[in-house]
Amino acid sequence: MGEEKDLLSSLLLELRRGTLAISVLSQMKEPKYGYALVQSLEEKGITIDPNTLYPLLRRLESQGLLESKWETGGAKPRKYYQRTEYGTEIYKQMKTYWENLSAGMRRLLGEEET
Amino acid sequence: MTLDDKELMGRYIYQVIRRLSRAQRDEARMELEELISDMYADKGSMETVLTQLGDPAEFAKQYQNDRQYLIGPEYFETYLWFVKVILICTAVPILAVSLIHAFGQAAVFTSQNAAPIIIRAIVDGLTKGFSDVLISCVSAFGAVTLIFAVMERQKVKIETKKAEKWSVGKLSEQKKTAESRWTPSFLEPIPDKKALISRGDSIAGIVFIVIFCVLLIFAPQFFAAFFPENETVKTVPVFNLDQWGTILPVFVLSLLVGLADEILQLVVGCYCKLVMVSNIVCGAIQIVLSVVVLKVLPIWNPNFVSEIQSALGGEASSAEKFLSFWNADMVSNGLLAFIVLFTLVDIGVTIYKTLRYGVFVKGR
Repeated sequence: MGEEKDLLSSLLLELRRGTLAISVLSQMKEPKYGYALVQSLEEKGITIDPNTLYPLLRRLESQGLLESKWETGGAKPRKYYQRTEYGTEIYKQMKTYWENLSAGMRRLLGEEET
Repeated sequence: MTLDDKELMGRYIYQVIRRLSRAQRDEARMELEELISDMYADKGSMETVLTQLGDPAEFAKQYQNDRQYLIGPEYFETYLWFVKVILICTAVPILAVSLIHAFGQAAVFTSQNAAPIIIRAIVDGLTKGFSDVLISCVSAFGAVTLIFAVMERQKVKIETKKAEKWSVGKLSEQKKTAESRWTPSFLEPIPDKKALISRGDSIAGIVFIVIFCVLLIFAPQFFAAFFPENETVKTVPVFNLDQWGTILPVFVLSLLVGLADEILQLVVGCYCKLVMVSNIVCGAIQIVLSVVVLKVLPIWNPNFVSEIQSALGGEASSAEKFLSFWNADMVSNGLLAFIVLFTLVDIGVTIYKTLRYGVFVKGR
């Protein structure tokens, strides 16, 4: 039983991992700080572990898709991330790809039900 | 946030960032402070927040995107196997030598019939033997690891170079596939059967080099002429043991160069440009070092002749017969000629096989 559960959770993890970058990019038109992003994703039904999100943000930044800025004016320093122009361009292409993919998936998964 | 909570947060952050590279630490610390205090404001309990974040080691792993290793998966199997071979080749001869030492020492005392002294000698010999084994095995392990680590780095360099060359060259004609760097034309031809390097030969070479090395380091006095004298054995060493401290490093270095070459051949497994270049370079270094050892350094025992004469004592006639053959210069020259010839033939065979059957000539 435990093995089955492990297998399922590792498959689900893999499935989710592929969607993380596009999920994050979709929310980054306006500047956001890390935890606000976690919450706004959660509100829309996408959960992401903070310990995955922060390294991911960094990676996207190093790839030139996001840019960051420390805001030191408030009560405590916050790091705000925002999509770059390049990031927006990539995001648009990812979105088109995702729409095709999910349409295809819907057809595939619908087959069994009919 | 209470003081205890702050303390917990500090501990957690410390556990994450101590696992990161120095360049990442300051930034990561600030990010984590921001995140944890945001989460704390949301959830109201530091326990809950840190439990949700999970094991700091796992968190740190997410930050480390580049996998860092000394010896990569490609070489790891060979490396492990190699370490075993080298450790056995090092440990067994040293143990054997120290056993012989210990009992030889004991034999000296048998005539005096002093059991405690004999036991003491054996115990001392064995203790020294075991500590020698330990030290040598650690050094051997280090040497092999170093050689493999260098190969790993070089391989990475060669591969990056290859990839760059390839993409630049093909960029204009194959723009569409430029993103996916690899194409079937990148496949190397299967090596000709005659281009394969026999694993057995390499292993034999390696075992020989290691054992020879060990003997030179731990028992240079075993390269000697043996004479029975009363109930013990008298030895006259061939090598100049007084100067051994200067001679040994050069000798061992030359053997290690040979070892590196053998290891490379074993790992690559077939004749190609890399093996050829390494063979030529190592061969040249070995010839130079051989000249240094045999012609420059005082390698031979200068008193060899007189010591033998005194050991033989009465049997002067056979001694004279033998000594008329011993001439240090001649021996040096003969050995040197043999080594140079052997090395040149070895290089010649490698060049021939590489050019005739080697991987890089065909196919390109």
